[in-house]
Amino acid sequence: MSEGNGDLGGLAAELEAAKPMEGFKDFTQFTAPTRVISGRDLLGSAGFEFTKEGATRAFLVTDQTVRGTGLVDTVSQGLEDGGVEVAGVYDDVPQDSDTRAVEAAATAAKEAGADALMAVGGGSVMDTTKAAAIIFTHGGAAREWEGYYLLPRANEGMGKPEPLVPVACVPTTAGTGSETSWVVVIKDREAQLKFQIADFPLFPRLGILDPASTATLPPQVAAGTGMDALTHAIEGYISGEWTPHTDAYSLEAIRMVRDNLRRAVLTPEDEDARGNMLIAADLAIVPVNCGAGGIAHSMSHPCGARYGTPHGLTNSINLPVVIEFNARHPGVARRLRDVAVLLGVEPQGGSDGDCARAVADWCRALSGDLGLPQRLGEIGVEKEGIPLLADDAMGDGATLVNPVDPTPEDFIGLYEQVI
Amino acid sequence: MAYFKDEQEVYQFIGKLFEDLAVDPELGPKTQAANTIVQYQYSNPDSVITVKMMPGDPQVDCGPTDMEPEVTMTMDADTAHKFWLGKVNATVALARGQMKSKGPVAKILKLLPITKMIFPRYKKMLEDAGRQDLLEAA
Repeated sequence: MSEGNGDLGGLAAELEAAKPMEGFKDFTQFTAPTRVISGRDLLGSAGFEFTKEGATRAFLVTDQTVRGTGLVDTVSQGLEDGGVEVAGVYDDVPQDSDTRAVEAAATAAKEAGADALMAVGGGSVMDTTKAAAIIFTHGGAAREWEGYYLLPRANEGMGKPEPLVPVACVPTTAGTGSETSWVVVIKDREAQLKFQIADFPLFPRLGILDPASTATLPPQVAAGTGMDALTHAIEGYISGEWTPHTDAYSLEAIRMVRDNLRRAVLTPEDEDARGNMLIAADLAIVPVNCGAGGIAHSMSHPCGARYGTPHGLTNSINLPVVIEFNARHPGVARRLRDVAVLLGVEPQGGSDGDCARAVADWCRALSGDLGLPQRLGEIGVEKEGIPLLADDAMGDGATLVNPVDPTPEDFIGLYEQVI
Repeated sequence: MAYFKDEQEVYQFIGKLFEDLAVDPELGPKTQAANTIVQYQYSNPDSVITVKMMPGDPQVDCGPTDMEPEVTMTMDADTAHKFWLGKVNATVALARGQMKSKGPVAKILKLLPITKMIFPRYKKMLEDAGRQDLLEAA
């Protein structure tokens, strides 16, 4: 870990040169086309809002837990009050969105004569809905669309992409940010892997952020998903793919998590805190949309695929050691001083490296206060599996954008620290 | 104007690079650890290279093939040329859609760290062939 700005020799200078953390970049890309509304009592006006996106007959996608809370009934009423018919409900999305659910939801929506899809749920429900929109619009099976920028578009695949059926999302967790992202992650249970589909039409048309949607969220889920948002924000700020746009979103997201996550989890009746966490999650996904991520995610994805660990919770465990690992890059350590200042943990007279350690410790303390496990072994990951996890992590897309290029041995060392 | 005049030139250089890698005692086993079949579909000029990266069973087909690719990478042949010279940021190329991937791209993303070792070989191949024009064009 860098001990200050003067330590630029050897590896540190090499890291600075490989992925500069300041200056004007050769290329950046920013896009945030989803219309997001936030506030109170918005579920009752779901139809009023969705009709502006062209919906007249919406098909709802959810899971049985969310349906059991009565939230889907509230949203359905809100749709109908705004003149949007409810064509039907698919409520069988599993904890990890899978190909079966995607294809079943698309088929059911088609058979119901829907002209719009609405997700009411967490990340899996939203990803299921977005992927179902592809099949609803273009046909095929979910796995056939795996990849980046492969949805049909003009000019022999190089022009404007064809739009999908309108999708709206009502997130019931505050963490994944899928309501404003252009990526879906789907599990292929037969192949025992998770795959991604990413393209611009996957940005939903509408996101509705209403704290009533998270009122019945179990505290541990609220905590884990909130830590997911924090991971997006911090990894975004120290990613090799940082941009001025992502910096702005990351820092505000970190500030909002700092001020709201404890309250949202420990005093769940605090509607302001829950509402602000929905917005924090929404801000924190923007860096991810711009390609700014890091290896806490590379480490978490294989744990989810191989051991079924909850994504946010796994990120929460991995984030502190990844912060410390990446702080060997002097530019990252300098950025972590910004974060330490924002969090109010900057050590007086401390080096950038001290600030990085302080940020990592703050993250550990936060997850501890929220009652979350601190080790992967506590959530079912086996020590014997580390070599395979490290191999998977090397191939994760987030590894490509980490500020420090890790080796397989680095990943093994990181997993061993948190197992 | 495209760097390569026809598909044969693509195969002569980029295809040969893959063929050399397949039998390289140091890099061959590392690439074959990917355990997949990748097809590179190039445009300008249209050309296809299919590479079997499986332990102990490498194969490279330039043009038509019987192999069924698991991963497909699509890009302009100029982008591929610049990539192997170390002049394309893969992250940016993927973000801009200059490189498009289909299938489980993670299998080949884990090979990116070793591509840095390949860049000098491609450069030397062009130098040995007296193709200063291709070196300078990129």
